[in-house]
Amino acid sequence: MLWLWILIGVVAVVVLFAVVGYNRLVRLRNEVDTGWANIDVQLQRRTDLIPNLVETVRAYAAHERGVFEEVTRARTALQQAGSPATAAEANEGLTAAIGRLFAVAEAYPDLKASENFLQLQEDLTDTEDKISAARRYYNATVMRFNTAVQSVPWLFVATPLGFHEREFFSAQDDTALPQVSFQTSN
Amino acid sequence: MTLQEQIRANRLRSTIVVFGFVLLLLVLAGLIGFAFDISLGVVALVGAAAYGIFALVRSRSMTARLTGAREVAPEAVRPLRRLVENVSIAAGLPVTPEVRIVDDAAPNAYAAGLRPEKSYVGVTTGLLATMPQRELEAVLAHEVSHIRNRDTYLMTMALVFAGVIALIADIGFRSIAYGGRSRRGGVLVLVLAIAGFLLAPYAALLLRMSLSRRREFLADAGAAEILNDPEAMALALRRLEQDPTTIKYADASTAHLWVESPTDRLDSERSGVLALSRLFNTHPPIESRIEALEEAGGFRLPEQLPADEAFGLQHGLG
Repeated sequence: MLWLWILIGVVAVVVLFAVVGYNRLVRLRNEVDTGWANIDVQLQRRTDLIPNLVETVRAYAAHERGVFEEVTRARTALQQAGSPATAAEANEGLTAAIGRLFAVAEAYPDLKASENFLQLQEDLTDTEDKISAARRYYNATVMRFNTAVQSVPWLFVATPLGFHEREFFSAQDDTALPQVSFQTSN
Repeated sequence: MTLQEQIRANRLRSTIVVFGFVLLLLVLAGLIGFAFDISLGVVALVGAAAYGIFALVRSRSMTARLTGAREVAPEAVRPLRRLVENVSIAAGLPVTPEVRIVDDAAPNAYAAGLRPEKSYVGVTTGLLATMPQRELEAVLAHEVSHIRNRDTYLMTMALVFAGVIALIADIGFRSIAYGGRSRRGGVLVLVLAIAGFLLAPYAALLLRMSLSRRREFLADAGAAEILNDPEAMALALRRLEQDPTTIKYADASTAHLWVESPTDRLDSERSGVLALSRLFNTHPPIESRIEALEEAGGFRLPEQLPADEAFGLQHGLG
């Protein structure tokens, strides 16, 4: 009889632990998903601006075809990126391509003075800032989630219930991961 | 503590504060009821509750009026609006708070609102005219983390309850002074009642102040984390400290809201530094806030602040 009670007790503790762990991991995973959705919105906004930008520049500099194709390719690559890491890589690629497009635009004073172009330039700078803001939040949530998944005791819940580490939004040679950690208990 | 845990701890603390205040209210009403008349106690309680609900509903516009913050169209302050958007995104807020402008030469900022979706950040024109972008962002991040941590909620609650308690204690005093009603229970109850009416507002004030001081450290740390730049926050604090101007609307009732306490200088100018007055400070000293940041971020502030152009001048604001 005693053994039965001990068994029931152990099972109860294990179940309780699993429930608490599961809830915690789900909460952290939802934060990661929200963080990713924030990045996705900004990436979407950025890709939406590109066709307009290309058309605007083309109106003044129709023969610079190489750079238009490059920007369009980079945009497609970003749209097709499946994972955070590849999206980050594609995003860097798009940044570089847009940079070259702006360098080309330097040679056309009329273009540089056009209202539409200035507006697009401002909007693009704004989305870039917002992507990096969203990235800070997303990477911080990934850091918390991964730490939970990798560390004892949640490790024992995470593996059987199918919680896997998530990717950071960062290109390979990128070290801009969150570095500051705070003791906020004072 | 993770962020979510902090937020939950804050919610729990809000609940405790609310319960503490309700208890204090009940005790006060009980005292009134005991010392004079049960019906007077009930009237005081109902009146206080009505006042409290009214104050909560009106808190947003009331704070705006007390601090002199005016609504501005987002287009009119586009560059500033963008900074607030970026900071809110980095903080993981679902909605970007509104921006309001306080016409005041003293650099300062605050956040208000019961819920994150209904919150706003108030910024003085003086802040825009003194802070370079990096430090302005840090101040905005500080305010946004107040909103994210639900500090604005907690402090609004505390403020409203403190007001209610002052009101009910006042009713008690007036009843003693002018009350021709039958006084039951003799001298002891009367003395107890007077002591209660005298001390309750201070108890409420102390509770409010101690709450708000802890919040400042948390919000500084939050800002550093949001921007991944603890030095920016420390620089902003140092610049605020060095600025000699004081908020026009400096007032005990809104002192706890601002990023830098607006009343410290007034107090020390008027009455010298009293040991007791430290207890009633809404903010920890700036120096200890800077030290906390230096320790967490592992840096030392330079002697000289960077001489970058102020954000407001750069963008024609403020």
